[in-house]
Amino acid sequence: MQGKLGGLMSINRATCIKILLIVVASVVTGLGASQLWHHRHYKTPVVLGPGVTRVGSLSEYCPSLRGTLADALVFYLEGGEEGGVALLLGNSHPNEPAGFLASLVYIENAVVKKGTVIVIPFLNRSASCYTRPGDGYPLFFSIATPWGERIFRMGNREASPLDQWPDPDVYVHYPEGQLLSFVDARNINRAWPGRPDGLLMERVAYAVMELIRKRKVDVVIDFHEAETLYPVTNCIVAPEKSARIATLTALWIKPKEGFDCHVEPSPVGFRGLSHREIGDYSDAFPFLLEAPIPFLDQPTGPKTEELLLTGKDPFLLRLARRGRLFVPYDEDGWSIDRRVGQHLSVSLEILNQFSKVFPSKSISVVNVPKYADLIRFGLGSYLSDPATLPPDCVVYQ
Amino acid sequence: MTIPIILLMVFVLAYATCSLRKLSVELRLLISAVVTGGAGMLAGVFSPQDLPRHLVEGTFAYLDIVLIFVTGATFMGILQAAGAIDYIVYYIVSYTGRWRLATLILLAILLLVPGALTGAGSISLLVMGAPVAAALASLGISGERVAAILFILGGLSAAAPPVNVWAMITCAGTAIPYVGFELTLAVPIVGLAIFTVVFLGWKRTSASAEPVKTLTRPVQEIRWWQILLPFLVFFTLIISTRIWPFRMPVLGLPLVFAISAFVAWFCFFKTVRLWSLSLEVTRRLLPLLATVVVVGVVQQILTATGIRGLIAYSVLMLPVTIIYAILPLVIPFSEGVLTYGGAAVLGIPLAWFFDSIGQHATVVIAGLSLLWLLGDGLPPTALIGRLSILTSGYKGKYTQMLRASLIPWILVTAVGLAMIIFSRRFAFLVAWST
Repeated sequence: MQGKLGGLMSINRATCIKILLIVVASVVTGLGASQLWHHRHYKTPVVLGPGVTRVGSLSEYCPSLRGTLADALVFYLEGGEEGGVALLLGNSHPNEPAGFLASLVYIENAVVKKGTVIVIPFLNRSASCYTRPGDGYPLFFSIATPWGERIFRMGNREASPLDQWPDPDVYVHYPEGQLLSFVDARNINRAWPGRPDGLLMERVAYAVMELIRKRKVDVVIDFHEAETLYPVTNCIVAPEKSARIATLTALWIKPKEGFDCHVEPSPVGFRGLSHREIGDYSDAFPFLLEAPIPFLDQPTGPKTEELLLTGKDPFLLRLARRGRLFVPYDEDGWSIDRRVGQHLSVSLEILNQFSKVFPSKSISVVNVPKYADLIRFGLGSYLSDPATLPPDCVVYQ
Repeated sequence: MTIPIILLMVFVLAYATCSLRKLSVELRLLISAVVTGGAGMLAGVFSPQDLPRHLVEGTFAYLDIVLIFVTGATFMGILQAAGAIDYIVYYIVSYTGRWRLATLILLAILLLVPGALTGAGSISLLVMGAPVAAALASLGISGERVAAILFILGGLSAAAPPVNVWAMITCAGTAIPYVGFELTLAVPIVGLAIFTVVFLGWKRTSASAEPVKTLTRPVQEIRWWQILLPFLVFFTLIISTRIWPFRMPVLGLPLVFAISAFVAWFCFFKTVRLWSLSLEVTRRLLPLLATVVVVGVVQQILTATGIRGLIAYSVLMLPVTIIYAILPLVIPFSEGVLTYGGAAVLGIPLAWFFDSIGQHATVVIAGLSLLWLLGDGLPPTALIGRLSILTSGYKGKYTQMLRASLIPWILVTAVGLAMIIFSRRFAFLVAWST
């Protein structure tokens, strides 16, 4: 009898523990899942600056994108005078936020006097709505401004599997047939030049290529960031056709802006990248800008918002002293102000050099802050407060 | 800098405590991750609401692998339950059993192909593991040696071209094109595979008479098309995406296995009860699936707390000669703890570092992937090691199986290390591949 009772009690105890664990697991799952849901559905405000003349979308150039989370907004800043056309791409990799923020500064501040500037701040929109499982990124980050904090979403390098899935066991690049990693099937910067009926990322790339061809884009600048341990960082990556303008830009940047930026050639044998395929499949001159982002390096401390924004890390500092990094690195780190400032100054200089080489297609942009401005006043000084503006001055993505 | 060190100690302490309480591997990992995450939260590394999010987010890191394991094991489970595996073994050994060397090499090739095509040693074991293990056993090879052959060859199949996931992850992270790996991987891997299967399989180590005589003809009446059709569908779906990559829709390995499993069930629907079989397969796989899910959580917590960075930093701070010396330990260890995450944590910075000191990056990555495959036999995850045990039906101790793998392990390590240290001398393999 006692044995039976003991057995019954132990069963009840085991069952109770199991129920308790299920309840705890459900609560933890609910709490975690609600944050991930909020991250995916968060709408980032974009303030329409004085230079914005029209807002369109990528689906105008590839209708099959309509209704998908890959259909990104396209901002047109058209000048009063005829001139060349430049296209700026942000968030190719949404875990490299300086590119997105630089494109946002253009949209919210730039005024185009001559020619046209087209900006796609959320190029890989799906990836900007996705986290990086296993890598522990913060979900959001905020930039301090004179009027308060402006919150932005941290994204991933690859598009969300909720939007493009399953992955192939190996990704075959179209049209070159080069074998690439399966994860690169969701990487927009391995999908160029794309195709209209391909994978979602290939359709995004195709839409941009159609935009480039139809709008006769002359200059394409793709904003990125790269690890300090990566040899191709703090540079302009350019194919042969863009090399002259890239070299002139790099030569002028140091004396004019006070920071180094070198030129890296776009490899012919590595397919799918914007700096290679846009040049090969259109008349445009492509440039890919890399600013150093310590947050993405593997040997860093905790992956915090602070590391993302300041770029200060004690591990990297010691590695720098050992000569392991490919960029100068000290106690000041690589702040978001510095990285965005570099992107703005280098992109403006590319437009300047392009205008000198091709005067009939010159592009003149004013009111865009430069590196020194961002170091002095901070990035937040160039971001508007969406809450104080009329609804028709703000769009959400 | 001290916080990641303290949190690493918390993780190790929690894991050791769970080990003393003799908890299962997956529970040890989960509890250690939760405790370390909690400590990280208390240390202010992330906010309290971030802890549940990290735990949930981490579980999705290897979702695809979970799906592949379930569908792949169901596919093979159907063929096993229908008696098709017995048939395959019988005919392989009947036709080639008299020529032991030829049989061993044929079985090695059978094991290498699925993993080479898909980049996953688990696929090799799930598809071919059971019949190859049975055939090896019928040749008089002892259980631990059969499991050891499966483990080493399963790992080699994952590293074999055309698809090597470790190399692909490293290439994707380092922006090095996945080009020139064909012969750079194939030459050492074919050599190592032949050595392994001959070294472990040449001697008869368990009591057995002539192999063909020991095998009795399966009693069930099975036609060849019933066996061939599911495999034909599987390989057709895999290969057709390579031949017509821009015409074939991307199915993904889980769906390819699911379709093949349905075809297999169609071939044997009279003898196989699909529902009960899939429940049984899932029940058997559950510890492995739990490990894969929990490894994602561990990886997330280790990264968010800076422990992962500390590990990478500790390796990169060392002088280059010491780095070479510890590679045979840290590379398999990183795979054992983080599975494919190891390629990102150490592979990416090491590839850049070796490239910067004049080594040939492609050969280095190929050499590193030989070391990573060994890590799949190491605890806590030991994915391929455990699958080898599961598919071979070996009932002995896991350490016995590892001990049997020792000589091939040393040789694989030596070849991998030589490729890293003397990468320039092997550059001709890259040139021949391109």
